[in-house]
Amino acid sequence: MLISLNWVNDFVKLPQLDSDDLANSFTMTTAEVEGVSTTFSHLKTIKVAEITSIKKHPEADKLNLVTFDFGGKEKKEVVCGAPNVREGLKIPYAELGTTLPNGMTLEPKKIRGILSEGMLCSETELGIGEGTSGLMELPSDAPVGKTMLEFLELKADTILDVDNKSLTHRPDLWGHYGIAREFSAAYDLDLAHPYDEKWEKSLEAHFTDVDSPIKPKVDKDSSCLGYFGLSLDGVEVDTAPAWMISRLEACGLRSINSIVDISNYVMLELGQPLHIFDRETIKDNQINIHTVKEETKFTTLDEMERTLIAGDTVISDSKEPLVLAGIMGGLNSGVTEKTTKIFIEVANWRADEVRKTSTRLGLRTDSSSRFEKSLDTRQCYTTLLRTLELVRELCPNAKVVGKPEYDGEDLSSYKPLVISTSRKNITTTLGHDVSHEKLLNIFKRLEFSVEANGEDYKLTLPSFRTTKDIEYEACIIEEVGRVIGYDNITPVSPKSDIQATRLDPAKRLARGIKDYMVYGARSLEVMTYPLIGKKLLEKAGWQDMNEELVLVNALSKDADRMRPSLVPHALNTVAVNAKQFDSFNFFELGRSYLPDAKNFAVERSQLLIGSFNKKTPTFLEVINQVEKLLTSLNIPFDLTTEDGKFKNTLVSRDWVGAHPHEYINVRIMGKFHGVISSAHPMVLKNFKTKGFFSYAVIDLSDFQAREMKGSTKYKPISTFPGSRFDCTVMVESGVAAADTLKALKKLKIKEMTEAKIADVYVQDNGKKAVTVTVNFEDPTKTLDSDFIKASEEAVVGTLDKSGFPLKQ
Amino acid sequence: MIAKLEKIFADFKSELSPLTKQADVLALKSNVIGKKGALAEILKSLKDATPEERKEIGPVSNQIKKDIEMLVAEKLQDIEVHEINEKLAKNKIDFSVTESIMANGLQAGGIHPVSKIQQDIEDIFISMGFDVLDGPHIEDEFHNFEALNIPETHPARDMQDTFWFKDLKHLLRTHTSTIQVRGMQSRKPPFKFVGPGKVFRCERTDATHEMCFHQLEGMMVGKDITVGNLIYFMKTLLKEIFQKDMEVRLRPGYFPFVEPGFELDIRWKKPGKGESKHSGWLELLPCGMVHPNVLKAGGIDPNEYNGFAFGLGLDRLVMVKYMIEDIRHLHSGDLRFNEQFKTF
Repeated sequence: MLISLNWVNDFVKLPQLDSDDLANSFTMTTAEVEGVSTTFSHLKTIKVAEITSIKKHPEADKLNLVTFDFGGKEKKEVVCGAPNVREGLKIPYAELGTTLPNGMTLEPKKIRGILSEGMLCSETELGIGEGTSGLMELPSDAPVGKTMLEFLELKADTILDVDNKSLTHRPDLWGHYGIAREFSAAYDLDLAHPYDEKWEKSLEAHFTDVDSPIKPKVDKDSSCLGYFGLSLDGVEVDTAPAWMISRLEACGLRSINSIVDISNYVMLELGQPLHIFDRETIKDNQINIHTVKEETKFTTLDEMERTLIAGDTVISDSKEPLVLAGIMGGLNSGVTEKTTKIFIEVANWRADEVRKTSTRLGLRTDSSSRFEKSLDTRQCYTTLLRTLELVRELCPNAKVVGKPEYDGEDLSSYKPLVISTSRKNITTTLGHDVSHEKLLNIFKRLEFSVEANGEDYKLTLPSFRTTKDIEYEACIIEEVGRVIGYDNITPVSPKSDIQATRLDPAKRLARGIKDYMVYGARSLEVMTYPLIGKKLLEKAGWQDMNEELVLVNALSKDADRMRPSLVPHALNTVAVNAKQFDSFNFFELGRSYLPDAKNFAVERSQLLIGSFNKKTPTFLEVINQVEKLLTSLNIPFDLTTEDGKFKNTLVSRDWVGAHPHEYINVRIMGKFHGVISSAHPMVLKNFKTKGFFSYAVIDLSDFQAREMKGSTKYKPISTFPGSRFDCTVMVESGVAAADTLKALKKLKIKEMTEAKIADVYVQDNGKKAVTVTVNFEDPTKTLDSDFIKASEEAVVGTLDKSGFPLKQ
Repeated sequence: MIAKLEKIFADFKSELSPLTKQADVLALKSNVIGKKGALAEILKSLKDATPEERKEIGPVSNQIKKDIEMLVAEKLQDIEVHEINEKLAKNKIDFSVTESIMANGLQAGGIHPVSKIQQDIEDIFISMGFDVLDGPHIEDEFHNFEALNIPETHPARDMQDTFWFKDLKHLLRTHTSTIQVRGMQSRKPPFKFVGPGKVFRCERTDATHEMCFHQLEGMMVGKDITVGNLIYFMKTLLKEIFQKDMEVRLRPGYFPFVEPGFELDIRWKKPGKGESKHSGWLELLPCGMVHPNVLKAGGIDPNEYNGFAFGLGLDRLVMVKYMIEDIRHLHSGDLRFNEQFKTF
């Protein structure tokens, strides 16, 4: 919202401070000022000048070299293309450095080879009219050297641009008077009260005894809280006076005609929107405020046809709707140049209803944006009188017919909000000492009436602050805090008991995963969107479209639902990065979202590990990383290619992207909480990617909250030597080399402390020569040679029996 | 006799010197001090010598023998070292080709910059006795709005453009303040906790706007907590985050779940640009004293306890810290971005 400080000055004499200081003070006590500008500031460096001679530009027919006098010691010369230059003409001259309203700052420049310093201006260039393209012709008695600001007798104004969002909770600040009240509190200045009882009486003197031609009727089920109507005759619609137009324009509104301008002016001053009808368009002098019962077409002032639905409140005459309540008037009932009889409506509407209708229609107006903040019906009468005052000022012949007519909630039964507080409560909550006198003064400035009992206060709040803004004692404390300035409060450490804190197991697990993945697996953490689109799921061939978790108001089809898995995004990550890198490792700790009959949705915490290489398979690498990761996290697990009773749901074996051979279940605490697999080349093809991509998904949800205890058990180092035995056996092609070790597990020799594979050599025929190395050790004695020999034979025998004969 | 011995020793030395092979050295040694060597030959004639002569010759010949053995050992060691060094010279490796200069794919490891800043801030809070909580992304109206004093008709529901699910009852949380509600319900005052996480806004994305970003919510509830405490706390936090005292300003701000509510701005310099009048302050920390209605919704008696709450935008902090020009990089999965934050 744009605030004119000249206007604010009507009600409070602002201190003579730099406009940035005023803006900053408003930001610090009330609401954020986003910008400060000064109207007509350019006119301070534009002076009345008189042309003394004209020469043709040597290089261009249409340009002249104009010499002129502007009150300085020397005359100046500029290049000028205006058609109306002539000797003796008085024109405005803008000096170098002037920034014109169009944003151009004048700098010395050469025009067709001749240096031109400054510019002779048209009205359009000065931003004070829309004249012809020629130079602005000043009267011959205009004093040379005077600034245009002085010459035009304009008053420069400072405009504050206040962030509307920061006024959401303050219905009282949508007009200049409310803003003035804030300045009065911030600077401890007296606020003028021009609209007092005496003033009311003087305007009420214009009421007449005749029966008012229009008496509004308000239906109870409408959104109307209160409705005042006043009829006037003898109005002459004209152009509004310059002072009014300049204020409206300073606040970003265009002048229409005197009557429309008055309604806007009053709204900007008091914050209460109003509507003025041409009374002769109101059929049968009826004004009915009611809800629409069925879908109705209505053309608003902006010539747009709108569809109203049952429940929307309108103001109708005997035939049809004239105004969409609180939002916008209709095309046909507005005031025109020919209007002589008017009907002034000052009403208040239920905020939520106005907001609902205006949001649905996508129609936000100066009026609706105020009503949706919850305005105060008790301000309507003042607004009506202020409107009457201005109509009388601009059209002295206008006459009230009858008196204001009201329908709506009973205003006389209004009970003001009373809040009790105390100096103790205020100072304890703020942590800052505020004196009794200071508090009383702040309350006075904010127009709270106080009944003080010592330092306990009973505050009666003004109605314009209690429509929704102030409700509790905490709100009063806020008022005091912001007026004294939060920056003036001394920071003090809170008193708090000592307690040990640490991250919970789930967070520690996440940290452990990240640490291992970075320093152990050399992997980069990525984040992808929790949202996904059908297109990507289909590209990945993913079966579950997660239709239950689709958004109604997605920004795009590519992110219109929750992801059912981290895998599809991972495939996309591979596609994106395979263009740049021949190999890479990445991981994501994120959530998958699945529908849930009872709780609507479940969120699964999952880890995705991905490894891509253009040339060589990465599957074994990912298996190794998973084994090392889970070991480092003390998570007991086992890997199996066998499917159990329950299928692994993290990545289905039936998924088209599942690799036919490279698929391993990760069993953690008895359940398949993980999978290690590779992407099928066909699915990579959908992503236009060639290479090897293997990944693992580990679902942490079921065990992340558990404390993972290490299983480390120290044993004294054996003082007796062990005995190591190697043998090489043959493994048929298609049989896993590791099956040799599985076979050895059957061998129950407690002295066999370790059995591992030392080497695998694949022969040309596909058979593998696998060297198994076994260690025998007894912590209590040196093993004798007979035992060792027998054990070695047992190893060979077991392997042989399991189909792994010794290599010949 | 003595002269003979000395000649043998001198001859030995001159013969040893040019030798380079172990075998030659050993042969020479055997020729001189072996059983049939030159020394032995001379000593044979010792039996004819007088006892005085023997006394004189004995120690001299022993000394010469010892010296020769020592010189041979030294020579052999020299030859061995020489041979090894020759081998080393032959097998010299080119240690300039370290992993860091090899084009061997992307080898970097590192956590996401948002994770990093989140962890750093969690650690600051842990050090001050705060718990770190988490909560669901998919929420209901109660936790996201009602419990935070945002009734259905409240314009704040417009301000925070919300992603809704088809049932129009569930939504993606628009702020981590939902964690406050769950935190209060699960605890008895006094308590303090933070809740970091992803939040969602139905907002067109561009270089500075994302539909999915990260906040960190904080709350402290107890007896007689003051605005002064809140300011102290925020200043401490910012000092830890930026590792220096920050110039801050606290101005009124409106959030339905706090009263009084503030915006805390920090003074900062926009990268690359001159400091204009109004770009000197960066809106960073909305905060305030917890609204009595919010305490009530969390099952806490506002007459007995009060507290403060605050929210911190993590993405903005990351962007300020690293001068990242486009917020969309954060969720892009483009490793050219992530690689720059490698730590290994």
